[in-house]
Amino acid sequence: MVMVTKAPPRSASAAHRALRLLLAAGVTAVSLVAVPGTAAAEDDKSAGNTLTVAVSQSIDSLSPFLAQKLTSTSIHRLAYEYLTNYDAKDARTIPGLATAWTPSADKLTWTYTIRENSTWSDGKPATAEDAAWTFNKMMTDPNAATANGSFTANFAQVTAPDAKTLVIRLKKPQATMTALDVPIVPKHVWEKVGDFSKFNNDKQFPIVGNGPFVITDFKVDQYIKLKPNKTFWRGAPKFDELVFKYYKDGDAAVAALQKGEVSFVPNLTPAQAAALGTQKNIKVNDAPGRRFYALATNPGAKAQDGKAFGNGHKALLDPEVRKALFLAVDRTTLVDKVFQGHAVEGEGYIPPRFGSYFWKPETGQKRTYDPAEAAKVLDAAGYRKNADGKRVGKDGRPLDFRILCHATDPNDKAVGKYLQEWWGELGVGLKVECLDSVSDPWVKGDYDLAFDGWSVNPDPDYVLSIHTCGTLPETPKDSGATDNFICDRQFDGLYAQQAVEYDAAKRADLVKRMQSRLYDTGYMNIMAYPNALEAYRTDQIKSITTMPEAGGNLWGQDGYWSWWSAVPAASASEGESSGSSTNIWLILGPAAIVLVAVGVWTARRRRSTADDRE
Amino acid sequence: MTSTEPTAPSGTTASSGTTPATESSPATAPGKKKPPPATASTPATKSSLTWARRRSTVARFWASYRTRRAGLLGLAGLALIALLALTAPWTVGADVQSVTQAPGTALEPPSAEFPLGTDQFGRSLLGLLIWGARISLLVGLLAAVLSVAIGTLVGIIAGHYGGWFSTVVMRITDWFLVMPTLVLAIVLATVMSRSMWTVVLAIGVTSWPTTARLVRAQTIAVESRPYIERATALGGGHGHVMGRHVLPNVMPLVLAQTTLGISTAILTEATLAFLGLGDPTVVSWGGMLQDARDAGAVSSGHWWYLAPPGIAIALVALAFTLCGRAVESVLNPKLGVSR
Repeated sequence: MVMVTKAPPRSASAAHRALRLLLAAGVTAVSLVAVPGTAAAEDDKSAGNTLTVAVSQSIDSLSPFLAQKLTSTSIHRLAYEYLTNYDAKDARTIPGLATAWTPSADKLTWTYTIRENSTWSDGKPATAEDAAWTFNKMMTDPNAATANGSFTANFAQVTAPDAKTLVIRLKKPQATMTALDVPIVPKHVWEKVGDFSKFNNDKQFPIVGNGPFVITDFKVDQYIKLKPNKTFWRGAPKFDELVFKYYKDGDAAVAALQKGEVSFVPNLTPAQAAALGTQKNIKVNDAPGRRFYALATNPGAKAQDGKAFGNGHKALLDPEVRKALFLAVDRTTLVDKVFQGHAVEGEGYIPPRFGSYFWKPETGQKRTYDPAEAAKVLDAAGYRKNADGKRVGKDGRPLDFRILCHATDPNDKAVGKYLQEWWGELGVGLKVECLDSVSDPWVKGDYDLAFDGWSVNPDPDYVLSIHTCGTLPETPKDSGATDNFICDRQFDGLYAQQAVEYDAAKRADLVKRMQSRLYDTGYMNIMAYPNALEAYRTDQIKSITTMPEAGGNLWGQDGYWSWWSAVPAASASEGESSGSSTNIWLILGPAAIVLVAVGVWTARRRRSTADDRE
Repeated sequence: MTSTEPTAPSGTTASSGTTPATESSPATAPGKKKPPPATASTPATKSSLTWARRRSTVARFWASYRTRRAGLLGLAGLALIALLALTAPWTVGADVQSVTQAPGTALEPPSAEFPLGTDQFGRSLLGLLIWGARISLLVGLLAAVLSVAIGTLVGIIAGHYGGWFSTVVMRITDWFLVMPTLVLAIVLATVMSRSMWTVVLAIGVTSWPTTARLVRAQTIAVESRPYIERATALGGGHGHVMGRHVLPNVMPLVLAQTTLGISTAILTEATLAFLGLGDPTVVSWGGMLQDARDAGAVSSGHWWYLAPPGIAIALVALAFTLCGRAVESVLNPKLGVSR
């Protein structure tokens, strides 16, 4: 006989498993209702006043030659001086590193006078030589032109005859000469850099700069720390430290604001703004934004060498399809429901805040929400509904689109839900693909539609330049400054005209015509201009300058006004507000009671049967 | 092994080996009285005998299960939730998901019209909670079944073949066992496209090692019994032994494991959806919590948006655990058979 040699092991320990499950249930349930706290370093309660700002967007690079994201460029505003700046009151050009500027009679030679009282944080004076070197680097090294190359593409020669004179010679007139949003870097530090495409300026701290703040420390997705530049020519900032702390979760940031761990939180949801608005010591700022929120369609990604790439849906190359899709988007509902009134309905490319460039489509041109008309347009274009109610192209391919959505942006997901239903009625399928980082498929052209948005500067040149053919990538392998692979000859022609137009009124007219053209192509469909919804603690920040000064925003300004001007409140101590924790307990309470009851009951059962078990 | 070993009755093929296999199963309370033979009035055929035996096994199982109050409670809870989920198309309707036809305004507190208030689109949260049960339960069931299926397959194969093959397979199992399940599931859900099936797959392929270990141990125990040797001697191959003898004997274990696994799977599904890794376009409990977070409900104090899905998840997980434990103790005589 074969002996039973191996006894079956006890089928796990049931007690342990049940306990584990219970714990898992408890932990999940609690973590689901509790605020997921970030592992923030609360160690340095250093002396003096710290202004802590909650941010969520990752830094793409700390190198001013590569940085394009809003967080990075906002920080560069603080760390480096630009030739000129924008007035906080009305965004007109005011002196920055340059104190004065004069064009030649033919407007092809611009002479800037560089201020003498600006020094780099390592003690060396900031001179015209630094500015000339920065521009020359961007003109000669394509890698250094990644972020701001549109400004220097038309430069013929940049020289510094002496320490306080900078001379820029142009190939053609250029309208942006008093709005060159290019951080000027110290030559003596940056001339040692080898490959500009790889150098991210985040190894050696403090980073030498001449702005109102000096970057002293940076940890990816954890924090960026800045100290005031005591010798800043416009006057040193009032706070002793400025910290941008990462909260990838909006609720965690708001909870931190309520507890006084951070002084400022941008990008609130309507519900958060409403809840914070009723709280003591917190001021909610609801200001017209400088962003647009758009629906971008893949126009068939192409490189400058003419090679097409990506896998965008072919039907989107048909202007009628693009038109029909946008006809079926109800912008008023989006503003009412998704933004809950904290936005303005989208019209042209440039937000109404920039009044002189703001453009609206004419009545006949406007694609007003009209699903019946959208269906008619599609019928006429040959995309008829099949037996399943799906629209099919002549090639037999159904109109099933994908839309790239930022997983971190609740608005994208919410608008995606609406689009699915509106387009579903039209017979058009939509798959919402939410990714943490959309840049990968985006750069490869592997998308049909995408949620898109840019912050617009007082000078619109940059946001217009990203839709010109010249910004397409060199080859399908490269990445260009282009936003959405748009290459339209008519748009390019107008862009070239406005770039050389010095007459403000004529230039504004050209910019409006560009927006009109862009509207007609249907490549960029502006859905809304979201407001800046932000909040700060009044017991930590006594006063702070918005831009524009009357009813403007604080986060992402065209300048360093908000953080430079912020004055600490006299007793900037940790004002623990118990109101917030009461709310949390309101939420936690029922869940905790249920869990405790379940736990006690299970434990008792377990005890009563314990001797039977093991 | 000698020739004096009793052989199977003449006329039966090796396949009739199932009969002793199920009856002598270590999991079905050995020593209990044999099931009564088929009624004498009709001549007993092989299949009617089998059915009679199965019926009586189920009856015996139920009689034993019925004595466990916690198990009954769990079962009642499950039946209620399943009923709500299955009748949802008629009670709340698929329209409850629609954002364009939402009846309310954003984030209304509970009222007579909306007993649990509304979400940021103005949809009824009670309706969404009921509708979300469908996805949560479905994903939980599918993921648990997938996980247990993989675990059973790996366990039986490893236990049956033994030797270096078993060692290699079990080392792979160990590797999965020590990997943090949630982290692995997050990685899988991130790299694959966002859909319900991704979540099912992510949970399924990460949570099988426990089952595999249990099943392998049981397989070894079953295969060391004499009747397996008999079956082999009568010409039963690997497939026959594994499929006809081992599988029916590990089934009770697998059943209990599945029931317990569902609650884990539902929790994991909710966690993944809460972390934003689920399909954002379908309504599930975890997804509702993620939506609540997107709307800023936590910091705004909108408890009616957060508490119900969280409590629902906890209750369903609890119900499945109670059922699973009851099933386990009925099927495994070593666990409190006296009760």
